[in-house]
Amino acid sequence: MASAAHAETAATSDVRPFFVGTFREEHQILEVTTEARESGLPIHDCYTPYPVHGLDGAMGLKRSWIPYASFAFGCFGFFLAFSLQTHTQFVDFDWVPIWKGWPIIIGGKPFLPWPAFVPVFFELTVLCTGHLTVLTYLIYRRILPGMKPKIHIDGVTDDRFALALDPSAEGFDEEKARALFAKYGVVDVLTVEGKA
Amino acid sequence: MSATASHLREPLVTGGNPQLGDITDAIVAPMENKPSGLWWAAFIPAVTLFVAGFTTIGYQISEGIGTWGLNKTVGWGWDITNFVWWVGIGHAGTAISAILFLFRQKWRTAINRSAEAMTILAVICAALYPLIHMGRPWFGAWWFAPLPNMRGPLWVNFRSPLLWDFFAISTYFSISCVFWYFGLIPDLATFRDRTNKKLKKTIYGILSFGWTGSNRDWSHYEIVYTILAALAAPLVLSVHTIVSMDFATSVIPGWHTTIFPPYFVAGALFSGFAMVLTLLIIARKTQKLEHIITIGHIDNMAKVVLATGMLVGLAYSTEFLIGWYSGSNYEGFIFFSSRMKGPYAWAYWTMISCNVISPQIFWYGPMRRNLVVVFIMSIFVNIGMWFERFVIIVTSLNRDYLPSSWSRYSPTWVEVMEYLGTIGFFFTAYLLFVRFLPTVSIAEVKMVASWAQKDAHGSHHHAASGAAAAGLNPVPASPKEEVHHG
Repeated sequence: MASAAHAETAATSDVRPFFVGTFREEHQILEVTTEARESGLPIHDCYTPYPVHGLDGAMGLKRSWIPYASFAFGCFGFFLAFSLQTHTQFVDFDWVPIWKGWPIIIGGKPFLPWPAFVPVFFELTVLCTGHLTVLTYLIYRRILPGMKPKIHIDGVTDDRFALALDPSAEGFDEEKARALFAKYGVVDVLTVEGKA
Repeated sequence: MSATASHLREPLVTGGNPQLGDITDAIVAPMENKPSGLWWAAFIPAVTLFVAGFTTIGYQISEGIGTWGLNKTVGWGWDITNFVWWVGIGHAGTAISAILFLFRQKWRTAINRSAEAMTILAVICAALYPLIHMGRPWFGAWWFAPLPNMRGPLWVNFRSPLLWDFFAISTYFSISCVFWYFGLIPDLATFRDRTNKKLKKTIYGILSFGWTGSNRDWSHYEIVYTILAALAAPLVLSVHTIVSMDFATSVIPGWHTTIFPPYFVAGALFSGFAMVLTLLIIARKTQKLEHIITIGHIDNMAKVVLATGMLVGLAYSTEFLIGWYSGSNYEGFIFFSSRMKGPYAWAYWTMISCNVISPQIFWYGPMRRNLVVVFIMSIFVNIGMWFERFVIIVTSLNRDYLPSSWSRYSPTWVEVMEYLGTIGFFFTAYLLFVRFLPTVSIAEVKMVASWAQKDAHGSHHHAASGAAAAGLNPVPASPKEEVHHG
């Protein structure tokens, strides 16, 4: 049955079947994933109702690169706040129409009072970092308004933990996978179609 | 791994040993069932106030702010009092979400979602006041935002704390919205997968952004959530710091003090936690979430109220100390004559009794666990903190340097109706929130519940894996094969 589904979909789109075992408890998914990886079974992904600590290590995932992007966004926000304030309050750039400044004399105070600019430095840094970090994550993981779930496994947003193996990858062995799932108390073994 | 942890700390989820599915059921129930009579009993008056208040705002904008009771001497009254009060209430949400998250306070999971919703709504109420105070708010964009214009361009003044406020509050509002919604995505997916109603499935399907529960998504998700928390924690502190600078950078006695930023931040957390208590004591009862928002959570929040209340009390006494020690006649006059004994002394003493004296009851443990006492106290604190802002604003303004210009201030019906209107809006929107969105973070409560189970059955983990290794599965394996079309 699984192979039939495979033949049907492989030609048409990127939808393909995954070999899935679902479990009831957190420790089962941790142990089965660890052993699957050690025994060379190709892990596609795990699906859990909440972030299970230790599962990243079990799956062999690297630490997220997103913080580096966040740092860049923070620098951008700071630069934006710096140029916004200095250009509007201090520098008169006649040649850039939108940035034309109008330095105002306020009680003879300096045109560039940097301590007074600190609140806006901070706020715009936070604003840019926060929004752009989330946006980066959502676009990178394709989690966007109205997107259809790439795969649907019953119960994984409720009380089930699922391990999905990739049958089309090298090293997949159905008998071995079944034996492994059974060893850790699998509830259901399914073939579920989803996008990679 | 031993079972000691469960003896040292109260369980975060009570009621025996709830399974993950039970947690989903309990939290999602209000979204699936028809609203109760109690819900309607709260919703109808809230909407009525909301409509009446916002109609009054329409009247005020068409007539002008002369409809308020402000005069030349007292140029800020209920408007700024309410603004600061609402911003303060809006502080607990992100404080609970971000600061308690960074400090790994696991009890936050039961209360953070509704506190965040409360934050967003309170900030909307707050932001309304500067907007309507402008009289002609459609010009406001040029007064607040640095937009290119035809007058030079003539830019906004970045040395002004009122402009910092614009940046602080808009950043706080938008980051709070993102933080709140980002946390909601997995829970919206839970509801999408659960409901059988076609319309709901479509709507929650769009709102849940195609979340699958994939661990590759979770892995980055947790990092992004931590980054948001790390950004939001100083942001919370910055917002009320900047609000306090609206006062502190002026030269008005009673406002011109350097302790204002920490004093205002403590007061904001104080009033924010009080409002969270007010809402959650009702919500946990009506939504039957007593095993998730436990009495232990209420106890913890009461402790925060006590601590921040003491900080606020310390700030009040510091002001008096400086009023005397600085030798400044004007400063001393404001505190020793105007506030304590002046025409608004009744407001001052209401503030002291609500904010400093009455929270002392929370030193006694059983009082922190008595819901009636905690509820009444939370209302007291809300009242006391409103009076704090009223006292700061009006008593400093009504008697200035020139006795001939001394004046009194009392609000008109327009100001009262507008205030009630914001309360109406706040409760209307909060009630809609509890009706249509999961009020408790389902995923996070499951996480802490699973830790609690691990603590309670310390050896279970190893026993189970041992049994599994020996082929003795605690869960009978009954594999069946199906093809799902995802």
